[in-house]
Amino acid sequence: MRIHRRHFLKYCIGSAAVLGLPLTVLGKLEQALADATVPLPKVLWLNGANCTGCTVSLANLFSASGPTDIADLLVNTIDLAFHPNLMGAAGDLAVKQLKDTAQGNFILVVEGGIPTAFNGHSCLLWSENGKDVTAMEAVQMLAPKADVVLSVGTCASYGGIPAGDPNPTGIVSVSQLTGLPTINIPGCPTHPDWIVWTIASLLAGSVPPLDAQRRPKALFGKKLHEICPRKGREEADIFGIPGECLKEVGCKGPETFADCPARKWNSGTNWCVGAGAICAGCTEQGFPDRFSPFYKVAYSYKEFTKPADNPQQPTQGSLTFTRAEWRSDTKVLIAEGKGKAGQIVTISRSDSGLQLGAVSVNTAGTWRFQQTAPQFIPSLMAASGGEITLRTVIRK
Amino acid sequence: MKTITVMDPVTRIEGHMKVEITVDTSGGIQQIVDARCTGTLFRGFETLLNNRSPLDAPLITQRICGVCPISHGQAAVLALENVSNWLPPTNARLLRNLTLGADFLQSHILHFYLLAALDYTAGPASQPWTPAWQIDLRPGLETVAANLPKAIAARRQAHEMGAVFSGKMPNSNSYIPGGFTTIPTAKDIDAYRRHLAALTAFIETTYLPDVKKVGEVYKDYFQIGAGCRNLMAFGAFEMDDSGSTRLFARGSIENGGVDVQPTLATTEITESVQFSWYANQTNNLPPTAGATVPEYPKGEAYSWIKAPRLRGKPFEAGPLARMWINRTYQGGISVMDRHVARALEAVKIAKAMSGWLDGLTPEKNAYDNTYDQYSGVGIGLSEAPRGALGHWVKIVGNKIAHYQVITPTCWNASPRDDQNVPGPMEQALIGTPIKDPNQPIEALRVIHSYDPCLSCAVHIMRPDKKPVVVFPGRQ
Repeated sequence: MRIHRRHFLKYCIGSAAVLGLPLTVLGKLEQALADATVPLPKVLWLNGANCTGCTVSLANLFSASGPTDIADLLVNTIDLAFHPNLMGAAGDLAVKQLKDTAQGNFILVVEGGIPTAFNGHSCLLWSENGKDVTAMEAVQMLAPKADVVLSVGTCASYGGIPAGDPNPTGIVSVSQLTGLPTINIPGCPTHPDWIVWTIASLLAGSVPPLDAQRRPKALFGKKLHEICPRKGREEADIFGIPGECLKEVGCKGPETFADCPARKWNSGTNWCVGAGAICAGCTEQGFPDRFSPFYKVAYSYKEFTKPADNPQQPTQGSLTFTRAEWRSDTKVLIAEGKGKAGQIVTISRSDSGLQLGAVSVNTAGTWRFQQTAPQFIPSLMAASGGEITLRTVIRK
Repeated sequence: MKTITVMDPVTRIEGHMKVEITVDTSGGIQQIVDARCTGTLFRGFETLLNNRSPLDAPLITQRICGVCPISHGQAAVLALENVSNWLPPTNARLLRNLTLGADFLQSHILHFYLLAALDYTAGPASQPWTPAWQIDLRPGLETVAANLPKAIAARRQAHEMGAVFSGKMPNSNSYIPGGFTTIPTAKDIDAYRRHLAALTAFIETTYLPDVKKVGEVYKDYFQIGAGCRNLMAFGAFEMDDSGSTRLFARGSIENGGVDVQPTLATTEITESVQFSWYANQTNNLPPTAGATVPEYPKGEAYSWIKAPRLRGKPFEAGPLARMWINRTYQGGISVMDRHVARALEAVKIAKAMSGWLDGLTPEKNAYDNTYDQYSGVGIGLSEAPRGALGHWVKIVGNKIAHYQVITPTCWNASPRDDQNVPGPMEQALIGTPIKDPNQPIEALRVIHSYDPCLSCAVHIMRPDKKPVVVFPGRQ
């Protein structure tokens, strides 16, 4: 894995437009990286109440303009002295590594919020002389010594999902805990480019301009909806319609600052709205409670207790239900079963009792119901004729 | 002389974990005679889901784990649809399988090369891979270590493949009850197919051979770390629209046998709290009734993780369990068998994915707007890369009234139960020979073979004070 650190610079130049790095920053970065005798900046990465999603997202780093990926970043750009998910050392050796590094200059990265309930003991990072060290203690100890503190992801930046009501473990953000100004790189998860962009700016010797939520303005300066290709399109009221604006089903693009529509995710493959899904507002302070419930989609809600553990088993009696199928290609609803010859079978929606029609059982003791373009397609269909039997409609 | 070694942090896992082992000489061999596994993070996801809209569950539960979010999205939509007795359209079933499959492949590759391989061969000579314990790293695996950059690229490509349909990875907002938001285009299907071909080649020509190489150099690990020898799987990857047949079958086996019990009733699952800090009146309740009544301090309790049991016994979940129950791999039960089964499983999934891709109807909607959300109780059973995953939900008045998650790591890393039977990973650690108690790499190999994900273990919590517990036999 001998990749020259200058490849990182090549990556930054090649991606300058996408990353939004100004030329002045690139020039300083070139000076900083060209001198191989200058030691790489040391980074300590602590996991608070996290899910590891931001680390996994960072591992998705890739640039088409150079051989730069996560390995290049780790080997040539930063000196990642402590990262619990990646490091070779375990136990005391890992702790020693962290302590030694903290004697000098270092960048502190925190992934995950900091729990304060139970005096911080719902999140323990290591043991020392038989005593547990909490995330709260570790961040309070290391943050004031660090050259700069990066809050990676929405949890470290603002609390995030685990801090949602009723915030069971009393989670606070890194800056709330320490009172120190952090650089916030939110997102659930955050984007690998956003992390690299921020580190590149810092290596070039400048703290990038930040917005009121202390996010780099260059990355979080515009509302997602304003740069969304679906803006101004017809507004969808259900999912599954190509290309329509999803504002009315719950998309948070109009309230969310992020450059996802332009940058996309997973090396430019796709993004949430591109897949017909809502933007959940994950880069915003107050996520999730500011946006929950996330969906405005109108589905009907039914107070209904399902009849048995397995409704596909017919109830006791002669009437059975062997097939219930919706063929969306031909728009035909088919139901079949058995019963007593001459018995009248009514087909209906199981919850509301809305009827679709009725058939009679033939002399062979079977019945068949078929309807083209029915007025509705039940999820659970009922066949009744003195007794009731239910079957889930299979959609084909 | 007994030595108690505390490994904290246990690194190269997802999440936070502490393992305390007691090493002593028995029968002339220095070995682990006692083991206690403790997760060290609790976030309370089940509590924060209460009173939210049912539709929020897939989005929120995916944040339980950043390595296997898709499994949580899958289990959540299955649980909600189970309440309504609803089955998704064919395209939704296939898109969910393809997204879940992509996440399995990235997780398996990540686990072997980034989390486990360093227990067997030295990593790159720079931080964060140095320093590391210098003990029992046998020669002959340099080529495996050299494949790390290739593996990093393959793992990333698996996520790019998943994002073709899921929008982004990790975490996809495309999982909603009623279907999947994506409409697959012919172009998307082609893009996905190209990624899959490259990944299948990597898995067959690099990953699987590398695992076999490690198995040859560390043959002794086919005899180490058997654990409880009970295996269970909820099954995943629905093969038909009724959801009744799956690529990985549901079932269990006991005591390393070959006879698979094909039925696995969730009513047979209970959670013991004898050695967990919860009131004993909640002992052995099923997940639908599982009340969480904290009680600390409490007798011999040493963990905030509950101990899930099937028919009253501990069970191992994961790729080895799935492959064994499917009768695809019944080599043995050990540290190395877990790695081999995981790699063989990656091959099996990749091949099945090609079929699912063929089954997609291009330009066809995968979301059905006739979906109705009912009140009631639902169960969503699926698999995470590291084992069986279950979501239990109760909906009242269009709100979540109760949510319970049992993750694979709760099964594998569970504490002792009310019969004083240790959890699977604890059992696997006990009896493992240890050369140097200060560098217990053998214990790390046992732990990593389960691919534990402590982010996943939603029940886990530690108290505000370190417990003073005198373990039996401790000096």
